[in-house]
Amino acid sequence: MMKPLQRVALAMSLVVYGGYASGAEAAPDNMTDAQKSALRKTVETCGTCHGANGHSVSPTFPNLAAQQAAYVELQLKAFKDQSRADPDAQAYMWGMASQLSDATISALAGYFAAQPAVSGRGGSSPLIAQGKHLFEEGVPARGIPPCASCHGAHAEGMAAFPRLAGQHAPYLFKQLLVIQSVLRTAPVMHGVIKDLTKDQMQAVVAYLESI
Amino acid sequence: MNRLQHLWSCKPLLQWWVLAVCVSVPTHSWAVPSFARQTGMACAACHTVFPELTPFGREFKLNGYVLDNIKQVTGIDTSARQTLAINSLPPISLMAQISYTHTSTALPDSAITGALAKDGDLAFPQQVSLFYAGKIADGLGAFIQLTYDGIEDHFGFDNTDIRYAHHWSFGGTNDNGHDMIVGITLNNNPTVQDVWNTTPAWGFPYSNSSSAPSASTSAKVDSGAGGFGQSVGGLGVYVWLDDHFYFEISDYTSAIPGGAHPLDSTQANVVQGSAPYWRLAYEQRWDRNSLSVGAFGLDANVHPGNGTALAGVVDKFRDTAADVQYQFIGEDHLVTLLGTYISEHQTLNASVLDGFAANTRNNLKTLKLTGEYYYQRRIGGTLGYFSTTGGSDSLLYAPAPVTGSATNSPDTTGYILEVNYLPWLNTKLQAQYTGYQKFNGLGTNYDGSGRNASNNNTMYLLVWLNF
Repeated sequence: MMKPLQRVALAMSLVVYGGYASGAEAAPDNMTDAQKSALRKTVETCGTCHGANGHSVSPTFPNLAAQQAAYVELQLKAFKDQSRADPDAQAYMWGMASQLSDATISALAGYFAAQPAVSGRGGSSPLIAQGKHLFEEGVPARGIPPCASCHGAHAEGMAAFPRLAGQHAPYLFKQLLVIQSVLRTAPVMHGVIKDLTKDQMQAVVAYLESI
Repeated sequence: MNRLQHLWSCKPLLQWWVLAVCVSVPTHSWAVPSFARQTGMACAACHTVFPELTPFGREFKLNGYVLDNIKQVTGIDTSARQTLAINSLPPISLMAQISYTHTSTALPDSAITGALAKDGDLAFPQQVSLFYAGKIADGLGAFIQLTYDGIEDHFGFDNTDIRYAHHWSFGGTNDNGHDMIVGITLNNNPTVQDVWNTTPAWGFPYSNSSSAPSASTSAKVDSGAGGFGQSVGGLGVYVWLDDHFYFEISDYTSAIPGGAHPLDSTQANVVQGSAPYWRLAYEQRWDRNSLSVGAFGLDANVHPGNGTALAGVVDKFRDTAADVQYQFIGEDHLVTLLGTYISEHQTLNASVLDGFAANTRNNLKTLKLTGEYYYQRRIGGTLGYFSTTGGSDSLLYAPAPVTGSATNSPDTTGYILEVNYLPWLNTKLQAQYTGYQKFNGLGTNYDGSGRNASNNNTMYLLVWLNF
């Protein structure tokens, strides 16, 4: 049963991101050969950091395979208009996204959404178990809702809420830090994780990387 | 008395010219903000700390310096073929180096026998460089450096690498597919086209003193006094497969700036025909780590020149090298380990005939080991070990003040300690100490004129600005 705070969070999220929740998955089938060629070239550029097919090697760069198209589209636009301004966004993505058209952004989002997901690292440990509990139950005593309420029971994401399953733990940890410190703007998350401790962050990202 | 000995004994000024050459072999290794302007990405995307490349920096170079994220000036013909695609702003950068050098014992005065030169040398500037570094057209890019050398007081063509690259994907779009870059490089310094910091052109030390004594010789493929440096031009083809395998074949010939052209007996170290260069490397990346192992080599037939005709027998040099590089690039901590070993076999028929060398066969072996640590790309230190050893030769390594060898030996070993502080990613404040255990064969009285290896120990302070 969803707690009141969870319901508020989810409702706010849908209001904020509702505009991106549909229609973002581009249809490459409708593209001309020239457009497909241009998309392939752009995907190759993305792959330099994010890996072939969105499977990245370095945890500096997130996996994009099977990422929610609406989320990718939202982020690319935030990089382009520089409203997402965390350190790595400025260092890498402001430049990379600056010349992308809306059509290319949609096509890229659709492309990465269609790639097979990265398998989690697996494993079991007390830390991962703690993270699983956090993800599924939240921390009611501190008013922290379950992550699963927005990101899905299997962390597969939902529209503007990103897929987290199989993501690099160091990347996720850094995102939690920069969101908590408001270096990265994410209105819903600011409230949700404001009281999340670093130890709890480490636990939940260890779990997410494992699945 | 042979010809070289005669030349040496009769012309003291020649000795000072040789000294000047031996102490003026700067390392040319830069990073350029025009790449950042072109890509819209911070220096940290391509560099751990400039000029050392990250895996992304290596990809950027292998792709031809063409990744761009700024408005383009474009053109097409009537068949829609693209005829122009250049940055709306030219990819121009400047670099300035201002340095101060202090050797443990001052060098001899160049004009007054027995006197010493001023101890402590401010080079203002040591170098100022102008770069064109960026895209020329789709797939075609360049790194072109023009340098004013404050020690030599001249403006000249420096490191240059112009390359075209094409990217292919084949074998499907899943993880079983393959990814390949094929490129052509036109450059003026063997290994300037390389993407690892274990090869000489971009190896450690990334900057050092232009006025302190340094090893009197080096392998042809190396960056020291014996290397070809920017006195050759070469064309090469490379393949970068699946972000793992690198293959390259290049061919160089002499392109010596200044002096007589066409090249004649007034020039030195002139390649006969062409000198093939080869390179193999394998890189593995995992998590925040990358490890590369490789090998490279150069074969060169060389006319000594220097007053002798560019004809007849030649000196033959065969350089073979192995290198290994490890990088860890964390959020806060960055570690780099570099190792390079170069073996050079020399067959000096021409030099023996012309009186420049006593022995027909000789060799040089060079080892460089470097460990580097940075915290948040702001402050860091480097510890380096270097060693050059080789067979003795009474003419190649004759006794002479500072630069010569009492034992006719090129053996030089020592270490470099370096501390760097980067208040911004494009500025570096550097303190470097070079200590010699052995210089030209000995630790004590190595030159036969009473100078010890430790007298050449050098403190070097540098302000390095890129903008």
